[in-house]
This record gives sequence, structure tokens and C-alpha cells, in this order.
Amino acid sequence: MHTPTDSLVSINHFTMTFGNQTVVDDLSFSVKRGETFGLLGANGSGKTTIIRALLGIYQPTGGELLLDGKPYAVDGGTKLGYLPEERGLYKKESVLAVMIYFGQLKGMAKYDAQAWSIDYLARVGLSDKAKTRLDKLSGGQQQKVQLGVTIMNDPELLILDEPTKGFDPVNRRLLMTIVEEHQQKGATVIFVTHQMEEVERLCDRIILLKNGKASEYGTVDAIKKAHGGASLDDIFLKIYGDDVEGMEQLSA
Amino acid sequence: MHNLGTVFGFEVRRSLKKKSFWITALSFPVLIAVIFGIVFFSNQATEQASVDNGKQQFSFAVTDESKLIEPKLLTAMNAQTFTKKQQGIDAVKNGAVDAYFFYPTDVSVELVEVYAKDVGLFDNGRYKTVAKGLLQQSVAPKVDAQVTAIIKGSIAFDETSYKDGQIYNGFAQVIAPGLFLVLFYILIAMFGNQMLTSTTEEKENRVIEMILTTIKARTLIIGKILSLVMLAFVQIVTILVPVITVYFVFKEQLSLPNLDLSNIPLDPVRIAIGAALFVSSFMLFTGLLVAIGAAVPTAKEASGFFGAVIIFLFAPLYAATLFISSPESPLVAVLSFFPFTAPIPLMLRNAVGNLSATDAVLGITIMSVSAAIILALAIRLFRYGALEYSNRLSLRTVLARKKNTPRP
Repeated sequence: MHTPTDSLVSINHFTMTFGNQTVVDDLSFSVKRGETFGLLGANGSGKTTIIRALLGIYQPTGGELLLDGKPYAVDGGTKLGYLPEERGLYKKESVLAVMIYFGQLKGMAKYDAQAWSIDYLARVGLSDKAKTRLDKLSGGQQQKVQLGVTIMNDPELLILDEPTKGFDPVNRRLLMTIVEEHQQKGATVIFVTHQMEEVERLCDRIILLKNGKASEYGTVDAIKKAHGGASLDDIFLKIYGDDVEGMEQLSA
Repeated sequence: MHNLGTVFGFEVRRSLKKKSFWITALSFPVLIAVIFGIVFFSNQATEQASVDNGKQQFSFAVTDESKLIEPKLLTAMNAQTFTKKQQGIDAVKNGAVDAYFFYPTDVSVELVEVYAKDVGLFDNGRYKTVAKGLLQQSVAPKVDAQVTAIIKGSIAFDETSYKDGQIYNGFAQVIAPGLFLVLFYILIAMFGNQMLTSTTEEKENRVIEMILTTIKARTLIIGKILSLVMLAFVQIVTILVPVITVYFVFKEQLSLPNLDLSNIPLDPVRIAIGAALFVSSFMLFTGLLVAIGAAVPTAKEASGFFGAVIIFLFAPLYAATLFISSPESPLVAVLSFFPFTAPIPLMLRNAVGNLSATDAVLGITIMSVSAAIILALAIRLFRYGALEYSNRLSLRTVLARKKNTPRP
């Protein structure tokens, strides 16, 4: 028996190396229950690696990554909604068949999964596409289905890895609305992104990674205050300033 | 095995909805139906042709240097006779007769010559038929009927073999345990490619991360394998139902032999061994195909390996006679106990009854242990090869990975 803790996610001294390259270096942070947490950093800063290690897809080189006090297991009891950076569904199956399948895998009864899916498709304007094969949908329509699959069964932990990547403005707004709804329901949300505008709007706390370590970690307000009230965009540029300068020199 | 039923149901349903599944499933019975149809219509055509030939009248002349042809027959058939071959040939050429047969002095060493008016590629055969029939009918009364039957090899034998004091029908004994070998081949031939590509879809569609965070890799793989077994069952039923229907409905028209299933001996020990070998062989090759599929990034690349697997399976067929006649041969032992070549030798030897109890136990053990190892490897390959969207995963890399060591 484990005792529920205030932190739903605990990352303790997590280190991850690929060959000779250390991607994450002795990193520790936690995500509290019910908060929306931003996992920020430039490309290649280790954001996705942390999520994959947390969900057991990667085995950590060192440290531990705990979800509700224990390593994540698919049948561990935590209802998870995960929108990975690499996305896709069974393209040759119908929208409804895929949604019902994932609903069942997430523990819903078939009838409930079907009813939920039909409601969701109506909400996002895809009622007439329920029996259409996924590969016959437009990119934006597929994104809506992917999002629906992610939030099925009311996840208590929603992990969104670069959620707006490739989303059109309509779907981006839909995503934000859905995130806000889940925040109101008390879900814990982890946002993996480098879109600072969305982070400022939605996140309670953030961690900003650089070279596999935490460069900033705390509430959005506290971090902004520590940087003289600068916006997160400016703080990001300041932290990665050297890299940006380097890029400018390269392009010059 | 939480969610095993969900995976099983999903995989079975979507395969049954695919046109390609039914094209494959129905191709065999359709082929059988086509063959039966050809045989049926061919039989009918032959019968009709025979009747037509019998009815067809044509004039002919004969020169009989063999002295075998019965003159009464020639008279009855209104045949002319010539003393010189050239006369007969000329008669055909100028249309005086339709055909001319020249019987040489010794028909056992010389050719009977037939000259005739062309009536078409197939109908020209009637001249030779009459020439031959004339010869046979002429000599038949001179020879004893039994001697004729012996020479023609048209006598029947009734053979009874004994083993351990009991009547033993070797061929009939092969049928029941041999069915497992046939079944194994049909399944691998028809589902091999599907097994290979069953796990590549998750990679190609980038659905792998969502799947692996929702269900255990082991459950997914086992669910997929069980679904393939179910689809194989559907396939077998799809093959058998039309074949059995055709047999019972068209048995008379196709002149099919009577099939008395009650005469097929059922040796429970050999059937049990055959079943155990079938299950372990099927699991081994399913695991192998799934493992290959898990290690490569695309279905196209996976399909390239199918040939290599088939070679492993079919190569032992070249030594089939050795398995039957020399089971103690070292080559038979090697092929029987090397897991990837073992299915044929073991199942064939069991079918023909020369697989000893020791060899059977050893073979089943090797196959079962190998199947378990390969299945575990397949799951590991799928688990660790999950995010290798564009690279082929090396076996050495996967085997080297231990807990708390990262993916490269």
C-alpha cells in the first residue's frame, strides 16, 4: 500500500544518458495534484525524454520517476491522458472504432466509450465522420480525434507533449478549452512546450530546462518577479541567449 | 493480462473487415472450386467426345502384315484391304477413304502407321483409337482374360499388415497425425506475412507511445497472436466448408471416391504428440515472425524476411524420404532438434510412426522452450524497438539492454 502524497509526480535525481551524451543530469522536481505544470525548454533539452521515462517507455540511467508514489504502470490505477509528440492512430480504421478501442483500453465499458465518443465527435463537428476511416480525414480532423482519444475516461493526469505542434488555430483553441475544463475538474496537467503564451495563460508552475538541468523552477509569478517582471518569452530568450546569439552568428 | 480481450476483439474485427483477408481466405476454396469445375467439365467433355467418337462413322482401309487383325471385324466395319502401303496412302490422299491403317509384321517392335484426313487437332485422335481397338478386339479372343488383366496390370490387391500382432494400415495411420503438418503449413503460408506485419503498423502509424502507455507490450503481442489463431480458425472453416460441401453435393458427378471416416485409425498418443508439436511449432514461428516485425521499422522491410523464414521451413522437405526411411540418420536428428527446422521432421516422423517417445518428448520440449524464448524476445523487441521509427533494431542491442540501462 502506498500513501497518497501531495505530489502526483515526483522526479528524484533523474539522469538519462544516450551513449556519451547526458540529456538529463540529476534532475529533481515534482508536480502537485491538481496543478498545471509547464515543462519548458528548447528543442533537445530533454523534455520529451523526461515524459517518456516517467511513463516507462525509457528506462532511466539513474534516479527515480514516480507517479503517485510508484513507477508508472499501465494497470497502476492512475488514469492517464497522454498526447505524445509523435502522434498517430490506426489510420485504416474508422474514427469510432479507434476511439472505442482506446476507451476500452483505458478502462471504459464499450457502451460508455461509444457514447462518450459520439458526444465528443458531435462537440467537435465530426459526427458525420464517425464511420470514416482516419486516413480519409483532413489533418485538422485527425488532430481532433487524437485529442479526443487523449482525454477519454476523464484522466486525472493529462500529459500534453508539444500539444499545439501542427495544430491549426481552431484546434489550438479547442485544445486550450479542453485543458481548462480538465483543470476545473481537478486534473493535473503537464504541458511540455516552448509556447510561452500558452504557458503564461494556463500554468501554475514551470520548470525551464537547460543542458539537462533545471534553470528555473517555481511558480510563473515568482519566476517572472525574479526576472524583474519580464515575460516568459523574454526570460526564455535570456536563458537561451547564448544559443540564440550562436544561431544568429551562424545565419549571418 | 488486463485488456487482452479488448486487443483480441479489435484485431479480429478489423482483420475480418479487410477485403484482403477475405480475398486470401477465399482464394483457396475458389481455387479448389475452379479445379473441381475443370475436372467436372473435362469429364463431361471427355464422356461426350467418347460418345461422339463412337457415333462417328468414317471409311478406312487396312494393310495387315502382322496377320493379327480378324478379317470378320474388317468385314463388319466395311473396311477395305490393300496389299501395298502406298495404295492406302494414295486412297487417303485422293479422298477414296478417310483413313488407312498399316499394321507391320511385328507390332511389338515396329510402328503401326495411321494415315488419315485431317478433322481437327482433337478429333484426329479417333483414327488411332479405332486402329488400336481393332488390334485389341482381334487378339482378345486368343488370350486368356486373366493373362490379359495381369499383363495390363489391372488386377487388384488386398493388403493386410500386422504390427504387434494387430492389423496395421500404415497409410491410414498417417492421416490423423499428418493433418497437423498440413494445418501448420497452411497457417504459416497464409498468415506468415500477417504475423510479420502485425506489429509494424503501430510503428508506421506512430501510435506506439499511446499504446505502450495504455497497455502492456506483452498483452498487446499475445492479443495479436491469439487473434491470428482465431483468424486461422476462420480461414480453416472457410476452406473446409466449401470443400466438404462440394464433396457431398457433387460426389457422383465428379466421380469422387467414397470417404469413410470411420476407417481412419485414431491413435490418441500420436494425435496428442502431433497436437503438441503443432502448437509449439506454431507458437515458435509466430513468435519469430512477430519478433522480426518488431525489429524493423516498416511492413515492407518486414516482408523481405518472410522468404528466409520459409526457407527454414521448407528446406527439410528435401530430406523427407530420409525422415521416413532412416530416422536414425544423424542428419534427421539435427533437423529434428534444431528448432527452426524441426516442425517438418518431427511432425512427419510422428505421422509415419517412427518418432520414438524419447524423441517426441525431447522435440516438444525443445520447441516449447524455443517458442517461449522467441516470444519473450518478440515482446522485448517490440518494447525496446517501439520508438525506432526509422531504424532497424539490432538483436545484440536489445539483448544487451538490462533494467536501468537506457535505450541508445
